Amino acid sequence: MSRTSHHKRLRVHRQPESSNMAAVCAASRVLGRKIVSSKALPAVCQTSNRKLHFSIYGKRGDAKVSDAISTQYPVVDHEFDAVVVGAGGAGLRAAFGLSEAGFNTACVTKLFPTRSHTVAAQGGINAALGNMEEDNWRWHFYDTVKGSDWLGDQDAIHYMTEQAPAAVVELENFGMPFSRTEEGKIYQRAFGGQSLKFGKGGQAHRCCCVADRTGHSLLHTLYGRSLRYDTSYFVEYFALDLLMEDGECKGVIALCMEDGSIHRFRAKNTVIATGGYGRTFFSCTSAHTSTGDGNAMVTRAGLPCQDLEFVQFHPTGIYGAGCLITEGCRGEGGILINSEGERFMERYAPNAKDLASRDVVSRSMTIEIREGRGVGPDKDHVYLQLHHLPPQQLAARLPGISETAMIFAGVDVTKDPIPVLPTVHYNMGGVPTNYKGQVITHKDGEDTVVPGLYACGEAGCASVHGANRLGANSLLDLVVFGRACALTIAETNTPGEKLSPLKPNAGEASVANLDKIRFANGSTRTSEIRLNMQKTMQSHAAVFRTGDVLKEGCDKMESVYKSLEDIKTFDRGIVWNTDLVETLELQNLMLNAVQTIVSAEARTESRGAHAREDFKDRVDEYDYSKPLQGQVKKPFEQHWRKHTLSYVDPKTGKVTLEYRPVIDNSLNAEDCAAIPPAIRSY
Amino acid sequence: MARHSKLQKQVLSLYRQFLRAAQDKPGFIPRIRDEFHANAAIKKTDVMHIEYLYRRGQRQLELLKDVNTKQLGSFSKSKEDSS
Repeated sequence: MSRTSHHKRLRVHRQPESSNMAAVCAASRVLGRKIVSSKALPAVCQTSNRKLHFSIYGKRGDAKVSDAISTQYPVVDHEFDAVVVGAGGAGLRAAFGLSEAGFNTACVTKLFPTRSHTVAAQGGINAALGNMEEDNWRWHFYDTVKGSDWLGDQDAIHYMTEQAPAAVVELENFGMPFSRTEEGKIYQRAFGGQSLKFGKGGQAHRCCCVADRTGHSLLHTLYGRSLRYDTSYFVEYFALDLLMEDGECKGVIALCMEDGSIHRFRAKNTVIATGGYGRTFFSCTSAHTSTGDGNAMVTRAGLPCQDLEFVQFHPTGIYGAGCLITEGCRGEGGILINSEGERFMERYAPNAKDLASRDVVSRSMTIEIREGRGVGPDKDHVYLQLHHLPPQQLAARLPGISETAMIFAGVDVTKDPIPVLPTVHYNMGGVPTNYKGQVITHKDGEDTVVPGLYACGEAGCASVHGANRLGANSLLDLVVFGRACALTIAETNTPGEKLSPLKPNAGEASVANLDKIRFANGSTRTSEIRLNMQKTMQSHAAVFRTGDVLKEGCDKMESVYKSLEDIKTFDRGIVWNTDLVETLELQNLMLNAVQTIVSAEARTESRGAHAREDFKDRVDEYDYSKPLQGQVKKPFEQHWRKHTLSYVDPKTGKVTLEYRPVIDNSLNAEDCAAIPPAIRSY
Repeated sequence: MARHSKLQKQVLSLYRQFLRAAQDKPGFIPRIRDEFHANAAIKKTDVMHIEYLYRRGQRQLELLKDVNTKQLGSFSKSKEDSS
């Protein structure tokens, strides 16, 4: 075999006359049975001048071959009907939904299920149960569509809001300990952006909660429920890449952190539920493990990610620490005040006031700080006041944040206000899917399904949240779309189906990358590059964005991306190599970050969470602030009511953007009429 | 020869279980042998290390016994290429 390639790549070793095959035959004679199955070493040779070779029989065989081997990565192959990557709310729901349907399911997760970031969710889960006042899911539908600034796909929103009451009742039946009203029904609190009668009936109380620890209860309930089913959990396995062949997803390759072995999970159906990528920013409410692994895996597979420029800044993250103070505080009556003691939200959102949509509140807070009415020595944050509420209510409904405020801000909520600042909290964008949870790409003006691949949760973009997510819709999104993925898979497949053949060297690029990082000997540490990226994103892609600042950010991100080639790692081992795993996570974060900032720079309008100072208005196909009579519809290229699809070339970090139209019709026009776009004000 | 200690018997029993479980699955036996032979060099007194490897081995055995685990291959990089 000629060796013309000059950089390290993997080689497939397939010639029958090789020493390996001879050794295999020898061994099979000894053991008296055929060791090598036909699918392991196919007869057809594919010349490739790459540097790692795959074989079934490892080091056995010719001494010449074994001496020449310097590093070896054992690869265990598994076969399942379905693989779920991620074990948070969405991942667990999908995994046990599949097991319930009889599928042989594996759940691959880099964290123990109850440590996934879902556990940190505080607020609640929206559902039109009607326990506090008369309610209708179509009003919830309206609120979500309006909240998304008409960038959400209305069929997916219809699906989610219609399924919401059933989903919450199902959770309650699983044993989730919801807070209760006096009559014993599920307590629902007010939450941002929720209204009655299509926005005309005042504040709706729709958010079912468990004090202020809903995510914690949800995750523990789902975990407990999942133990009833026979899903195989692969805990502390870091998923490296998808195994894609001919545009179809055939499984996942993962690194077992405990012993350093590589595992290939072959399955006809792969579900991505890996969560968001808050850690691309310096100050965020997310855990250190929110590194956008699923988005990056999809990007490396050549598929697009959708709407990554829409990053939600939660209004109330503790100043300094970044820990989250739930919107539920404002739902229970908490108010935001500036240095003059004024409830400034009354000026920005006269009707909803503090319970306006999150992007509106974040922008209002930022404007107040910018205009000099911030609090503290540097006047760079505002206060969230809760001490006017009765202490029993605080203790009963908001115990978690009382403790958080004491620990991270040193504040007793019954006496003093909490210092808060808008902090990165959620990623509306992710892997594009249809309302059934199937991953889609956009080719020739049509949405086409990628066979074998599904996504749900924060990692997926169905898109129910559009340009801005309403509070308490995320936990709903998790359970509804986790279940939807399981149902879709159950509809279109049968358990025990034979798997299509996979190339024996599938995943070699991932292992080559792993090897390269493990022995990386450049000059910059992982932590330095990560800090550079986080600071760049924080200063250039913040609440308010300007064209030239974004452009500068794009250039800086490009150079930070290139600095990845000069990375230095210190741990050369393979067992529990956290340096290696952090570097892999950094690679994933970097792919997410470049897509976020480049998409933000390209979108010249303000919509939802993406606010541009130089383009303050929303640019739709019609100008909805004026009557539609006599207006000419703008062509697709000239307006911005469309989804961004971003692709990255992982070698150079170059981002290419395409666009895809928003789905404006609901699933059933008679049952629930679609909402035509309008001006969004609270 | 001195009798095997309890720990030694456990390790040997684990080895036997591994070999039995790996019979129908291609590629595991050489790796099992290599791993055990390499770790045989650990001193008898280093009990913490041995027990850690034993526990890890038990988890790996469970994985091996699972019906969904099919084969063991390896990606190897040859010395001349890694210069």
